[in-house]
Amino acid sequence: MMIFKALSALLDYPSADLQAMLPELRAIVDRAMPANATEAGNLMALIDELGSAELMAVQERYCELFDRGRSLSLHLFEHVHGDSRDRGPAMIDLIELYRRHGFEPHPRELPDYLPLFVEFLSQVETKEARNLLTDAAPIIALLRDRLAKRGSAYAAVPAALLAIAGGASVSPVAQAPGADDDSFEALDRAWEEAAVTFGPENDPMRAGTGCDKAASWVARINAPR
Amino acid sequence: MSRFLDRLTYLRKVVGDFSNGHGVVTTEDRGWEDAYRNRWAHDRIVRSTHGANCTGSCSWKIYVKGGIVTWETQQTDYPRTRPDLPNHEPRGCSRGASYSWYLYSANRVKYPMVRGRLLRLWRAAKTQQRDPVAAWRSIVEDPAKAQSYKSMRGVGGLVRSTWDEVNEIIAAANAFTVKTYGPDRIIGFSPIPAMSMVSYAAGSRYLSLIGGVSMSFYDWYCDLPPSSPQTWGEQTDVPESADWYNSTFLMLWGSNVPQTRTPDAHFMTEVRYKGAKVAVVTPDYSEASKFADLWLHPKQGTDAALAMAMGHVILSEYHAKGKSAYFEDYCRRYTDMPFLVRLVERDGRLVPDRFLRASDFADKLGQANNADWKTVAIDEATGQLAVPLGSVGFRWGEQGKWNLEARDATGAEAKLRLSLAGASDDVRAVAFPYFGGIKHEHFPHSEHPDIIERRIPVKTIATKDGNVQVAAVFDLFLANYGVDRGIGDVNTAGSFDDDLPYTPAWQEKITGVAREQVIAVARAFADNADKTKGKSMVILGAAINHWYHADMNYRGIINLLVMCGCVGQSGGGWSHYVGQEKLRPQCGWLPLAFALDWHRPPRQQNSTSFFYAHTSQWRHETIGVDEILSPLAPRRLSGSLIDFNVRAERMGWLPSAPQLEVNPLKLTRDAAAAGKEAGPYATQLLKSGELRMSCEDPDNPANFPRNMFVWRSNLLGSSGKGHEYFLKYLLGTQHGVQGKDLGEEGGKKPEEVVWRKAAQGKLDLLVTLDFRMSTTCMYSDIVLPTATWYEKHDMNTSDMHPFIHPLSAAVDPVWEARSDWEIFKGIARTFSDVCRGHLGVEKDLVLTPLMHDTPAELGQAFEPKDWRKGEIEPIPGKTMPQMTVIERDYPNTYRKFTALGPLMRKVGNGGKGISWNTEHEVDFLGRLNGTVTEPGVTQGMPRIESDIDAAEVILALAPETNGEVAVKSWAALGKATGREHTHLARPREDDKLRFRDLQAQPRKIISSPTWSGLESEHVSYNAGYTNVHELIPWRTLTGRQQLYQDHPWMLAFGEGLCLYRPPVDTKATAPMRGTRSNGQPEILLNFITPHQKWGIHSTYTDNLMMLTLSRGGPIVWLSETDAKKIGVEDNDWVEAFNVNGALVARAVVSQRVNPGMILMYHAQEKIVNVPGSEITGARGGIHNSVTRATVKPTHMIGGYAQQSYGFNYYGTIGTNRDEFVVVRKMVNVDWLDRPLAGAAAE
Repeated sequence: MMIFKALSALLDYPSADLQAMLPELRAIVDRAMPANATEAGNLMALIDELGSAELMAVQERYCELFDRGRSLSLHLFEHVHGDSRDRGPAMIDLIELYRRHGFEPHPRELPDYLPLFVEFLSQVETKEARNLLTDAAPIIALLRDRLAKRGSAYAAVPAALLAIAGGASVSPVAQAPGADDDSFEALDRAWEEAAVTFGPENDPMRAGTGCDKAASWVARINAPR
Repeated sequence: MSRFLDRLTYLRKVVGDFSNGHGVVTTEDRGWEDAYRNRWAHDRIVRSTHGANCTGSCSWKIYVKGGIVTWETQQTDYPRTRPDLPNHEPRGCSRGASYSWYLYSANRVKYPMVRGRLLRLWRAAKTQQRDPVAAWRSIVEDPAKAQSYKSMRGVGGLVRSTWDEVNEIIAAANAFTVKTYGPDRIIGFSPIPAMSMVSYAAGSRYLSLIGGVSMSFYDWYCDLPPSSPQTWGEQTDVPESADWYNSTFLMLWGSNVPQTRTPDAHFMTEVRYKGAKVAVVTPDYSEASKFADLWLHPKQGTDAALAMAMGHVILSEYHAKGKSAYFEDYCRRYTDMPFLVRLVERDGRLVPDRFLRASDFADKLGQANNADWKTVAIDEATGQLAVPLGSVGFRWGEQGKWNLEARDATGAEAKLRLSLAGASDDVRAVAFPYFGGIKHEHFPHSEHPDIIERRIPVKTIATKDGNVQVAAVFDLFLANYGVDRGIGDVNTAGSFDDDLPYTPAWQEKITGVAREQVIAVARAFADNADKTKGKSMVILGAAINHWYHADMNYRGIINLLVMCGCVGQSGGGWSHYVGQEKLRPQCGWLPLAFALDWHRPPRQQNSTSFFYAHTSQWRHETIGVDEILSPLAPRRLSGSLIDFNVRAERMGWLPSAPQLEVNPLKLTRDAAAAGKEAGPYATQLLKSGELRMSCEDPDNPANFPRNMFVWRSNLLGSSGKGHEYFLKYLLGTQHGVQGKDLGEEGGKKPEEVVWRKAAQGKLDLLVTLDFRMSTTCMYSDIVLPTATWYEKHDMNTSDMHPFIHPLSAAVDPVWEARSDWEIFKGIARTFSDVCRGHLGVEKDLVLTPLMHDTPAELGQAFEPKDWRKGEIEPIPGKTMPQMTVIERDYPNTYRKFTALGPLMRKVGNGGKGISWNTEHEVDFLGRLNGTVTEPGVTQGMPRIESDIDAAEVILALAPETNGEVAVKSWAALGKATGREHTHLARPREDDKLRFRDLQAQPRKIISSPTWSGLESEHVSYNAGYTNVHELIPWRTLTGRQQLYQDHPWMLAFGEGLCLYRPPVDTKATAPMRGTRSNGQPEILLNFITPHQKWGIHSTYTDNLMMLTLSRGGPIVWLSETDAKKIGVEDNDWVEAFNVNGALVARAVVSQRVNPGMILMYHAQEKIVNVPGSEITGARGGIHNSVTRATVKPTHMIGGYAQQSYGFNYYGTIGTNRDEFVVVRKMVNVDWLDRPLAGAAAE
């Protein structure tokens, strides 16, 4: 589906080539998506934005959003595996998927890079593309929500992907509570630990049992000499 | 039937179960196990390590599958140790493991990035003119344009670029700067070469080829203990961690071994099972404290008082009473204690002055060569004066007499008299300075006078200047400690309970440690050393080296070790594991790193003085020289701290960068036009005042540093003392400096420096190479993505273990990343093209200080004289910097970068004062790496194309990795000492390590004279071992461990002998206290910055796992008492601030911390969860936002034997522990989640 190729290009680093291609992308979107759909309108808004500003201003905005930090990383596994060692095997599985379809991913880019993944979708049958997209939907939804919260026009791309997958209402991957909430209260909540009181009687696993021996030790230690 | 036929011979009956039904035999398919096999399958395993600055150098197995790093595990194949020692492995800690995923992290820098505003200007300029140099000029010479991007540093706005484009910008900036201002305006900062030596060398080789300046790190980080060069003439040399296991009494003093030396800590815990005792000295209840048999917790910053009291106990019980024959023999042979010191009358008192020298006598005691530099003692047998072998005068100008044999210069045996007691002709009261009475708001003082007189035996000697009284260092040393010598001195202690400096009772009030504990530890330490011949060891950390008077803390400890004969003995000695990590194949690396194969000497600069001057921290100096001078100073030395630094630069003691206010390329042209040699021409101009050194006018645009490279470092996020001053003055951007400078304050201005309006935004270009978006990257104009530790070939060594370890490219760099070697090679290539038409073959006048380990270290032997004031003639290399003209062929920079140049063949190689022929190794490298075939300046020379080629250059040229070179280097040393040393390397003469060998297994290095210990099958590496056992002198004035420092500046600042000095008052809180109230109560606390638990050593806290394990953002630790006083509860946001700036963090309220101090782990990034400051209105700040570097004149001494400049060896240090901050709870936590006012893109 050409729409995938177009979405991949829209989400990639903006270049002069991309700006030159915008009318063509507009036509693809027109063809692929119902004109009255919100997703189509939002995509057009993004295309307008990419085309109307000076290239470097567009690039600065892109870098500010996607080239720094985890929150809006376009690498899918950053959001599920982060810096853990599960990430390596997960990437290998993905490479093997591409290879099974006769594609070799670019050696300089990681296989879970969203524009790469979406470009791949443009090369497989629609049904399979939808299935694969559904697998990734929670992460894509997460990106959609975070971009929308920042008021970024880029939210249109993940929203369109979800619409194509048929799961526009999909909910984002479970995150630690407050992960994207920077408010004072939310941070306090996230950092707050339950106060620890030592002693067996406070062990929730043994509620009500108590341990006479330990209690007698504590009593002896505390006894005035 | 016979049972024989019943028994089956070939068949066995299948049984369904066994072991009473507990076991069942099945034959089902086991194919399901393949799932697990595939899960752990991989294409290959590669050995690498984490090139962090933690001294770990731990071996890791990196598993690669399909070009992706899948996981890694600790390697466990280190060469085995001896049968009586535990093994090294497993090395590698959980922190190291968690950092490997930087490779694929979202925090990674993926593309070359440029500040958008600069890139717009550049592209616009390039459309105007094709010539990149002209394009750069049109930007930086236009104040409005320059200001437009400089003022945006640190506030975002980076965009991706391409390698071709960034290389062109950098090359154009460099070429323009060289042409217009001079090559010494291009500087590069990179620390700790040992952690990835090829990557370091890449940048420094490029800089050295174009005449740029390499900046030191060790002194700047304040990890360099100047006490080490002062005492031993050695930067830092320490026992390997395995030698802890040979000790029988360990002290951990300000070193948190289990937390910061994790992979090595097991040697310490294991030796406790053998019976070794462990005493720990830390103010806080650190992780190390848990291992203590006795934990002493002095008030922070008073360690010297504790050490002095221990010394008092040991000297009283052992040395004064002659209790240990071992100590006595050791002190006689290996220390300066027998040497004679002149006493002079000053203000009616007798004061110790300089060492007596052979030149003090009309006949020079028979010494025609360097009589000024030969110290004198008394031969016990004859009672006559003797000139013992081994002093620095014997090191230069003659051969075969620089050793520690018990002989005098005539070759006769000489047993030196240790004390003049019993051989004196008088007992006199001698005056010592006392600083413990200085009042400080936060540190206790004692009520004793600032001058204390103590009686010692003296002798009158006839010199060419008449009779002088002399004393032995031994007697001065004991008197300084207040030790009773039985000669009825009221100022010495009759008992440890007397309150006299420096008794255990005296220290009690200052440190808070019970006297009984001090006495017990001192006795145990000395008793153990006496019985084991020196197996008492002190492991000490930079915690106590970061104080302004750090030398006193360190010398106090060194004195303990030396007086008990522990230095140079296996299981004993001084174990300072900080920061430098020991670049073991140093002599092979130096030519590569500083392009010594093409040009000598390179430009090297001590960073502390540089940043002090160029980030204008001197403009805010609050410490007056009169506050630190000795009450016995011969005259009131005048001026401010920067004046002393400028004098030191003029006299050739410290280096300068930039050097002269005129472009050195222009100077040589002017000289040629005048028909003169450049050196004498410049000297003449300097003398007449027509030419000035840059250091005298740092705010003059002619003297700005213009381009700066930072690589392998987080200079601005971690190690920039006075962070806010960097931002304000060097970068010219948003900053948090709160104080006014001396001009605004109406303070006393320096004498030697021109005072003008403060310059801001001196740097035209800041380029940072990193693999993660660090704080430094955020402030840079260009950010270059580098390869991580699993994407490049490099080498790594540590002082903790004797192996040399590879970093290996397990996979290719992802995204646009390149190795440091490829990046600088690329810059060199573009520079060589871009500079054409602007730079050709040029002559550059290079100034270098009087370097340690060269004959120039014999500078001014007596009272230093300044040519600028007409006190002496300016003589390059003697009374002022050395001057050398170097021919640079700029368009051939790239060719030179990639080939081993001709000087290796022509001049040879060497290090630490010895040199050897290395033609054989150059031939070998030509065959191994191939030779350059293209016609040109490098044709026929060995290639250095790849990072592996570069590694092979290091390995082939270094004695530590090439046995043949080791033998040559020991033979070279033998010429100087007159002794045979080659036996130390002969057994490994044919051992030649190659890069692939290291990848197969970490390899133990070969013993070389670069280091003072041995790598052998018989002893663990221990510093000073060859001095004691091979009789090689220490590289000091006396050739011995020097406990008395006689340079006039040392005496003027009261540090001839070790004593206690309280922390200095930086006066940073008074203007802020109560003046910026937010309604919360405030408290003043001492600001302490140790190394952390949740990051590799001092780097990288932006890792998600470490953040999760700690508190997810910046934290400071407070005591419960202090927290209560200001109403702070655990996890509250607090702000700490003073005139230097402000920082915000969460409070950790803990019993661990002593009242009176606040503790903030080093290097928590400004870019992770830091809200805005109530004081500055800008984002948070980092730990260095509240610090300011303050320099000390004694660290500027040069041209004086061991006190001579060496890169990362001697110089001013960036102290920061004396600082106090105002701490209070925050009311308004503002995350600044909105665009910066006025920062919208143009």
